[in-house]
Amino acid sequence: MALLFLCSLAGSCFAEDYDQLFRASNDLMAQGDLAGAVTLLNQVPAPVAGGDAGAFVSSRMQVARIHAAENDLDRATASCQEVLKLFPDNNEARNFVAALDALRKPRWHTILADILRFLPSLAKGTLMTLLLVLCTMLVSPLGGLLIALGRISTLRPVSGLCWFIIWFFRGTPLLLQLFFIYYGLPAFGITLPPLTAAVIGLGLNYSAYLGEIIRGAIQSIDHGQMEAAKAIGMSYGQAMRRIIIPQTYKRLMPPVGNEFIALIKDTALVSTIAMVELMRSADQLFNTYFNITALALAAVIYLVLTTIFTFIFEKIEYRAGIYEHR
Amino acid sequence: MNTVSQPLLRLENITKRFKELIAVNGVCLDVPLGEKLVIIGPSGSGKSTLLRSINLLEKIDEGSIQFEGREVGYVMRNGTRHLDHSQAISALRAEIGMVFQHFHLFPHMTVLGNVMEGPLTVQRKPAAEARAIAVDMLVKVGLPDKSDVFPATLSGGQKQRVAIARALAMRPKLMLFDEPTSALDPELVGEVFDAIHTLADEGMTMVIVTHHMGFARELADRVVFMESGNFLAQGTPAEVFGSGQDNERIRGFLNRLL
Ligand SMILES: Nc1ncnc2c1ncn2[C@@H]1O[C@H](COP(=O)(O)OP(=O)(O)O)[C@@H](O)[C@H]1O
Ligand SMILES: [Mg+2]
Repeated sequence: MALLFLCSLAGSCFAEDYDQLFRASNDLMAQGDLAGAVTLLNQVPAPVAGGDAGAFVSSRMQVARIHAAENDLDRATASCQEVLKLFPDNNEARNFVAALDALRKPRWHTILADILRFLPSLAKGTLMTLLLVLCTMLVSPLGGLLIALGRISTLRPVSGLCWFIIWFFRGTPLLLQLFFIYYGLPAFGITLPPLTAAVIGLGLNYSAYLGEIIRGAIQSIDHGQMEAAKAIGMSYGQAMRRIIIPQTYKRLMPPVGNEFIALIKDTALVSTIAMVELMRSADQLFNTYFNITALALAAVIYLVLTTIFTFIFEKIEYRAGIYEHR
Repeated sequence: MNTVSQPLLRLENITKRFKELIAVNGVCLDVPLGEKLVIIGPSGSGKSTLLRSINLLEKIDEGSIQFEGREVGYVMRNGTRHLDHSQAISALRAEIGMVFQHFHLFPHMTVLGNVMEGPLTVQRKPAAEARAIAVDMLVKVGLPDKSDVFPATLSGGQKQRVAIARALAMRPKLMLFDEPTSALDPELVGEVFDAIHTLADEGMTMVIVTHHMGFARELADRVVFMESGNFLAQGTPAEVFGSGQDNERIRGFLNRLL
């Protein structure tokens, strides 16, 4: 209804003064009637017969903007082209077409640009994550073996201490342990750099977990093996080192592989004690650019790491059990 | 100086209890150098426990063990018996070979690795020497061509022969066999008996637990019949197995086996 009224209004002031028409189209846009506004604006004729060039360009550019806002890039371009047909040098129309073309470009172009932009700092974070993982992978099997041997020791104080270590580090959150080591120990006069605190925290935590796994593996070996080793004169230590522990490798690999995969992801927790590793790098980028590509990229890097490690552990497991293949 | 009649092994009043159960009940036994002693008896009569007590895999509750005239395995401290320190125990075990019913080969080592392990790790011999000893022992049990395979690929009879070679590689003075053929298919028993016979012919002193009466009769210098932790009878194979046997229980046991 309003449209009909305005159309007649526009018709009445045709070719003389387009202010009325523009104002009416603005009102329509304000009401949300974009189609109506477009219809109205397109009534401004081309300035062939001495028409108002300024009003024509303004109207078509306004139409282009409306279409662009509606994400109808083709019609926005078409409207610009109307202008360019008559005024090929019109800068506004040319810039708008260029902007529209840029919008049309596939998204991966910008994603690729983001990736290239984020990759250097994510790579640095990845190196730190790898350093943490490798340090913990070096420390925790040794710690775990000591804890396991301590647990099965007949010396009460030793087995009790190892039981306590397992009980404590499995029973409290890793995050809390890291906080305690980094923020809590200074209260006792021990201040550790972040990397040291992180390796100690992860190392102790994973030693406790691996300790239980290794103990289970040792105790799953047939008792006859220890007896046969003793029967040829081996000491307990020799029997453990030469006979029992080597037989646990194959059984250890699947659960230990699981633990190490979890470790790769758990290193993200040390971002809370001032370590800039992969998670922290991604978080910083996200907070700077509000761009989820940084997070997605971090996810991909974590997946690549876990996939590589899974593959390596499967290979090792196969090799460790090669003597069982007939 | 010890006299010639000094036995290689002397057990005096060995008693071993598992809680209430008396597995070995005050057994006395002399094994002279070179003797082939066979222990027979029903299942659960304490044969394995006695054998395992000899090389200290079981800690006995009473009695004493003498090897080559020395008291071994236990020391008195504050009026109570304790196991001797671990080096002494390992040293004794190194001089006594043991073959188990279920072989207990080390599955992660090759056949050669199994046989070398004692000389290499316990006696700390150079690898080349340990290897040479191992090859000799594998030849002795008739398995020189199996050096480089893993135990999983062997038959039961072959496994037990490797286990014998592994024990022999330590150059033991006494060999203990605990039912060495009981886990084997009947057709594989012979090859293991042959290996033990070869050893017997070389003069090895041995104590063998077996249920194969034919083998016992052939090999044994002396047969001991054990029941409920006691020696019920002992004598030459002819005395124990012969028609002269007048003990009801032994007759019954032998009849069940034959
Ligand atoms: N480790 C053990 N714990 C408890 N009882 C045992 C143990 N070993 C053996 N026994 C018991 O001791 C007795 C003798 O066993 P064993 O020496 O194996 O007999 P055998 O070898 O003559 O068949 C059996 O009653 C057996 O159940
Ligand atoms: Mg037995």
